[in-house]
Order: sequence, then C-alpha cells, then structure tokens
Amino acid sequence: MDTVFKGEHLLPGQIGQFFIVLSFGAALISFISYYFATTEDAGKNDSSWQRLGRIGFYINSISILGMGTCLFYVIYNHYFEYHYAWAYTSRSLPVYYIVSGFWNGQEGGFLLWTFWQAVLGNILIRRAKSWERPVMTVVAFSQVVLATMVLGVEILGTRVGSSPFLLLRKALEAPIFQNPDYLSFIKDGQGMNPSLQNYWMIIHPPTLFLGFASMVVPFAYAVAGLWQKRYKDWVAPAIPYALFSGMILGTGVIMGAFWAYESLNFGGFWAWDPVENASIFPWITMVAALHVLIVFKNTGHSYFTATFLVLISFVLVWYSSFLSRSGILGDTSVHSFTDNGMFWQLVIGVLIFLVLSVVLLVARWKQLPITKKDEDTYSREFWMFVGSVFLGLSCFHLLVVTSVPVWNAMFGTKMAPPSNIKMHYNVIQSSFAFVITILTGFTQFLKYKKTDVTRFFITTGLYLLFGALITALVVYATGVYKLNAVFILVMWGSVYSVVANAKILADAFKGQFKLAGSAVAHIGFGFLMVGAVIAAGTSSIISINNTGEGFSPEFAKEENPRENVLVYLNQPQKMGDYTVTYVGDSVSTPNVFFKVDYKKIDATGKIEDEFVLKPKALINKGQMSASPDTKHYLFHDMYTHITMFYPVPSALKGDAEENGAGGHDEANDDKNYDAPVSHEVKPGDTIRYRDGYILLKGLNKEAKVQSIPLSDSDVAIGANLEIVTHGRKYEAVPVYMIKNGNVFDFARKVDDAGLKLRFSKVIPENKKVEIMVYQQPESKKKFIVMKAIQFPYINFFWAGTIIMVIGFFMSILRRKKELKTV
Amino acid sequence: MKKSAIFGLVVIAIAIAVIISVYSNSSTYGSFSDAQKTTSELHIVGHLNTTKKLYYDATKDANYFSFYMKDNKGEERKVVFTGTKPEDFERSEQLVLTGTMIGQEFHASKILMKCPSKYTQDKLEITEAKATQASI
Repeated sequence: MDTVFKGEHLLPGQIGQFFIVLSFGAALISFISYYFATTEDAGKNDSSWQRLGRIGFYINSISILGMGTCLFYVIYNHYFEYHYAWAYTSRSLPVYYIVSGFWNGQEGGFLLWTFWQAVLGNILIRRAKSWERPVMTVVAFSQVVLATMVLGVEILGTRVGSSPFLLLRKALEAPIFQNPDYLSFIKDGQGMNPSLQNYWMIIHPPTLFLGFASMVVPFAYAVAGLWQKRYKDWVAPAIPYALFSGMILGTGVIMGAFWAYESLNFGGFWAWDPVENASIFPWITMVAALHVLIVFKNTGHSYFTATFLVLISFVLVWYSSFLSRSGILGDTSVHSFTDNGMFWQLVIGVLIFLVLSVVLLVARWKQLPITKKDEDTYSREFWMFVGSVFLGLSCFHLLVVTSVPVWNAMFGTKMAPPSNIKMHYNVIQSSFAFVITILTGFTQFLKYKKTDVTRFFITTGLYLLFGALITALVVYATGVYKLNAVFILVMWGSVYSVVANAKILADAFKGQFKLAGSAVAHIGFGFLMVGAVIAAGTSSIISINNTGEGFSPEFAKEENPRENVLVYLNQPQKMGDYTVTYVGDSVSTPNVFFKVDYKKIDATGKIEDEFVLKPKALINKGQMSASPDTKHYLFHDMYTHITMFYPVPSALKGDAEENGAGGHDEANDDKNYDAPVSHEVKPGDTIRYRDGYILLKGLNKEAKVQSIPLSDSDVAIGANLEIVTHGRKYEAVPVYMIKNGNVFDFARKVDDAGLKLRFSKVIPENKKVEIMVYQQPESKKKFIVMKAIQFPYINFFWAGTIIMVIGFFMSILRRKKELKTV
Repeated sequence: MKKSAIFGLVVIAIAIAVIISVYSNSSTYGSFSDAQKTTSELHIVGHLNTTKKLYYDATKDANYFSFYMKDNKGEERKVVFTGTKPEDFERSEQLVLTGTMIGQEFHASKILMKCPSKYTQDKLEITEAKATQASI
C-alpha cells in the first residue's frame, strides 16, 4: 500500500541521493584506475588508466559539490520532510546559521571532510607529478571509504552509511506519518541547539575538518613510498603538507577552545573532554612526525619512526571520528554524538587504514632504510627524535585514558575514568610538556651530526639559568608556586623554550633565516604553554559564596568551594575586589541579556575601575542555555556567566503562564508581596524598611489620577514619597481619593525596589496619614545566580597560538622553496 | 649497550608507568550500596526519580541542589550537589554521578547528564506529533 504524501519536495533529495551514489561510484573508479595506472602503466608517460583516474576524481569532486548544493537547497527552503533539515534547522534561524546547520549533523561532518579531501586531491593532481598515481590511489580510496559513510543504502540487509537526504517519515516512526497530509502538521524544524548558535559554529568546523582531511596527504605519500619502494623520495614533498596539517588542525582545535571560552559555559578553554582529546591525537602525532621527517631528510636517521607516526596520525583521525560518532563515549563525554547505527562501519573505517599501514610496514620491513649506526649524542637529530617519541608518549597517555570506554567494551571491564580527571591529565601531560619544551629549546643549539660540546653546554646552561630566573619571577608574581611542582617545571621549560628560541630567531635575522620558522613556532608553543599554565592553574573563582544556610550539618562541614553567588536586582554585592550589582536586563527574543555592573573601589572609596558585563541566557523551548560575557584586559580576563535567573521575563514565557501572572487583579497582586506594614506618619517623617527608608516629603492636594475626572466635592491627595535603597533614590506618589463620598486609593509600585506603596488613610486628629508598605519577599525579588572567574594572562595562550601558526606558515614557505630548488 | 636500546627501554618503562598510573587512578562504576562501603570517589550511573521533588532554592542557598536518583540496581538515594541546578536537569534520561556517600546522602562532585532530546532530537517530536494528531 503506497500512500501518496502531499506537499513533499522529493526532487532535491533524489538528485542529492543520486550525487551521493555517483560520488561513491566515481571515487571507486578513480581508485581502481589509479591503482592500475600505478601497477600496469608504471614507467609509461602516457597512461589511459591515469586519465580515467583523473576523470573519476573530477566526477567525484563535482558530485560532492552537487550533494552540498542539494543539501543547502533543502535546508534553505525549509523542506522539513527531510530529517536533516528538520532536526538541525528551523524557520527562525538566520541565514548565516543555515550555513552552519549544514554541518550540524554527523552526515554534514562527513560531507565537509570528503569535500576538503576532494579539494586536496585536485591540488595533488596538479602538483604531485611523478607521485600522482600512487598518492591519488590512496586519496581516492579514502574518498571511497568516506562516501560509504553518507551512502544510506541497504546492502544485504544492513544499512551502509547515513544519508543527509533521509526523509523524516523514514527516519522516525510515528503514527502521524500514516496521514498523507502529515507535512501540514510539521510547521517547523527542531532548530539548532542554542549553544551552537554562534559565529564560531560557522568557521570552527570547516577549519577542523580541513585539518583532519589534510592528514590524508602525508599518509598517502607514506603509503606510496612504501608501496613503490621509493623509501626516501616521499619525505621531502610530504613535509609541506604535514606542516599544513599541523597548522590547520592546530588552528581548528584552538578555535574550538576559544569558542568554548567565549560563549559556552564550560568555565574555561580546555576541559579534557574525550571529544576534545580525540581531536588533538592526530595533531600531536603529526607534529611528532614532522620533526622526524625533517631528521630523516637531513640525516637519514629515524625512518621507521617518521613513517610510523605519519601513518598512525591518519589512523588516529579515523579513531577520533569513531570515538565522537559511535556513541561509545556516552558515559564520559558531554558532547559526543549518539550512535546512529554506524558503530561497526566506523570500526571498519579505523581498521581498514590500520591494517593497511601495518601490512605495508611488515611487508617492506626488511627493505626499510633503517640506519644501523646510532645518532651522535650531541647531534640535533638524536634529540629531535627523543622529542618526537615524547610527543608520541603524551598522545599515548591521552589515548589510554580517553579510550577507557573502549577498553571496557573490548574486555568487558567496568573501569571508570579517574575521578579527578582534570588533575590527572594536567599533571601527567605537564610532565611530558616539561620534557618537550626543554627539548624545543636546547635542540635548536645543536647541529646535525656533530656539535661543539663545550660551547653547547655553556649556552644551554646559560639559557636554562636565565629561563629559571624569569620563571622564578613569573611563578612568584602569578602565584603558580602554590601549585603542584610539575607546573613550575612546565613554566620553566616553556620560558626557557621562549628565550632559547628568541636567541635562534635573533640569529636567523643575522643570516640563518632557515631556522626562523621553527624558532617562531616554538616561541609560540612556549607562550601557549605559559598562558595555559597560568590561566588554568591560577584562575580564581571570585564568586565564592559561603552564605548558604547549610541544609544538613554534614553539608555545612564540607569544604567544597561554593562557586555561585546570588545577586538581587539593584542590591550591590561584594565579590572579591569588586562590588557587583545586577542593574537590569533586556530581552531580545530568544535572548535575555543581564546587565551586571562591576565596580572596583579602593580604600578611599574612589572608583578605580567600572565596567558592565552582559552575559546572556538563551531560551529555546523551555531550555535555557547560558552564554558568558568577558571583560578582556591585557593581562587578565573577567569572566561571568549566569547559572540561573528569576523570574523568566514574560515575553519569553509560554502564553498560559502569562495569563496567570497578569497583575490586574488586586487581590492576586498582593500575593506577590509580604503582608503589608502600616505606618502613621506626618510630612518629614521617615519609614524604615528592610532594604532602606522612605521619606514622606509632603502631601500634594492637586494630585490627579489619569482618566478619573474630579468634581469640586471630590478630594485627591498624593503623598510625595522618596525611597532610598542601596544608594539609589526613587520617587512615588500614591494617591488617596474621596469621590462621591467613596474612598479610593491608588497604590504605586516601585518595581526596581520591590515595593508597593498605598496611601490608605488620612487621620485628621493628629495630622497624620497612613502609608502601607508592601515589600516583595526575598523569594519574589528579581535575582540572578552567577559565577565569575578571573583568568590571568590568558592572552598568552591565544597570542602563543597565533605565533605558532605564523611559525608553521613560515616553515611551509621554506620547505616549499627547498622543494623547487632540488 | 647501544644508546638506542637504552632509550627504547626508557620509553617502554614510561609507557608502562603511564598504564599503571591510569589504572591505579581509575575509578569504578558502581551502585549506591558499593559507595556505602567505600570512602573513595565512585561513578554511579542511574536515572532521576522524577516523582520526587528536586530541591533548589537560590534565595536560601545558591549552591545547594538535591534530588533523588535510582541507580541501575534500582536502589534510590538522596543526592546532594554543591552547585546550581544544571540546565535541563529534568529532561535528563541518564545521569552519571561522581562522588561519595556521606551518611545516607550521596554527595556528588560532578554530574554528567544525557538528554536524548538535545542530542538526537527525535524523541521529543514524536510526542508532539501525537498531540497534533489528537487534535485533528
């Protein structure tokens, strides 16, 4: 029984699906053709296999663009009959986020990856020359594997891949889909997760995926080198690509960190979340690989290590993709995807490239140009090799801990990650970082093959000492000395790395310009580590709050830091060096911005510094998602985010609630206040109340109430009240009225002060009047709960990253130039 | 002995040290009754008992949040968390707590929650779809 569904737009999906199948087929043809071009037509200049391989790859690239266009068309036109459009976008989403809706889902991620790989493949076709055939065989093969991930076709009863063009009615099971007119009930999509609605979502994923995708190029060169037995030649052309990978992936990862810091409420820039860790595995191994590649190129040493690290980097790209997409991290990660039925396919993806690497290495083992002679102890190559191995060890540790759920799945154990996981990572990774940063310093003073030992020891010793002096100063000034000793060591290593490489850079300007790139990159890395250690190690939570009532004796006894502070509207609150006041909020649906005023007052009462932060909360379908705001100074940042607020502004509430909260009903309105207190006062008297005092300045006989005309016999008296609370002044004029012999009174509210004031009686005997003061109970007053953290010297971290990227870029230029001259 | 051999041994030693330190540092998944028996921090997987009240009143204490959770063995305990109520807590389908038992209360230092609606986004709409149909 086929139902004909109304209103569906099936064409773009069908075209898109066609392109997916075409891209798969074309990649397969390209792979097979390039394979035969390599094996059958070896040595021939003109190869029809090669031509076919190119055509296949071009078709593959075009169909990827086609897929992208179709998917964009579907999303842009809000065709919610497609699961992808429905799940990740909505009508209210601005256009620039529609672009990022594109890579919100797993399928889009694969699409981005395969797109970049296609771009790189086209560059290789133009530039790889004699390497084109074997290298493109590998790239085309990788395209085949990626295409299966978005295929979404049933083969032998199992679904292979998950297509972005899956229809909603096929993706979900619900009775509504028996209705041919179901689409008219699906008015809008789910929309993008509020925390993703950020401009970083537009540029972070493409950068990250370009980084991942670019790992295929050095991998393809390494495989081609082993396969074609051109063991030595592949290294030189692979180095610029390896540098490019390191540069882009590094940038992508730090962009993610910056995003998390600027607009997510992690409370920091790095949380050691498994998904974050997974993204730096390949970066670490590729950077390690880079160093030994250079060693091999210059001295012929470390061939196996270099090849192994290049190969494993690409395998780790797949492994990290498996970790974040298979749902295996479920219990340990906050932001991994859940399994969408591709667990085993992802496992196969990892294994294919792992097995390929292992088989090639084993098959060619005997022929590998492995040197029998040891490197000289005082040679640059030896210590670069040591550094790479330590980078590898650091990655190994990350991998072992992050993969705990994988070990559990494999061995049936029930291990849980260390309970204080951040400390665990920080301490162990810092130990590795110490060794690595020291190596990045002194290895630069060594020469390839043989170095003058005495001179080397003198310079190294001098710089180590100089580094130690600066470190002592920095450590003392920033308070790092209060931390675990290992963090002081990292500081020392990093500072040393910066000064030593600064010396190299200075020399570079005198002539040895070749080393400038590496010196700059190492300085950048040193600064990055300095910033990371100080900012993460000495960040202080300013909103420490020990005023809670303590609900049980045990609870009160614990010395847990209490990191959230409650701030009532317009009630200044002391917080560290600052006085903080919640001065108001503004709603711009679906965002609420809270204005939080920070004042730093010195001993004499003078305001040293004042600024207003506007952290926001985004309300979407009753979910709140908070986004911090940060005041940036050159040497520290003040970070503030809202963890809760009350009440929800009515503009953002559901309709039902709004009616209930309407303030027209007097009796109802009084419920919002504590029982009133009556005061008999005469002009000039003051009334004290909880948050301040009220002064009756005088009575005003000519009071008017809007839309109530008064005749001569009627009386209307206003009480001019001045309210002073927490250093602020408000005016209010409640009115007492006798009209046609009946007594009325018109209360006035001062919302900012949480007051309602009534002029309820005139007592002529003693010339006094009665003022009734309604106060909002503490629990009805507007408040926010916020957390404030100070991050010192975090700019070193960001600046270090930028410097490092510049260093990478300089090195790419240098290595490219070398390629041309050879 | 050759230098590379010595270095190789050092590397292997460090690798083993890493594995041992991870293993000895690693915590275990357990139940509330396991937590009762030990003073070290434990991970407990379970789900929120939505029939009992969640307690969070920022005006009294902005850093006190309590709720009841059933672990995977069905045992239920009061859980206390020093902090604010996490966003969308009520929607969570599964909770992973890290912490220790103190008396009859479990004091969580970390809460990790999984909200299916936030990640796969499918569950929610099915109920909505049903509601729409009923009104036809």
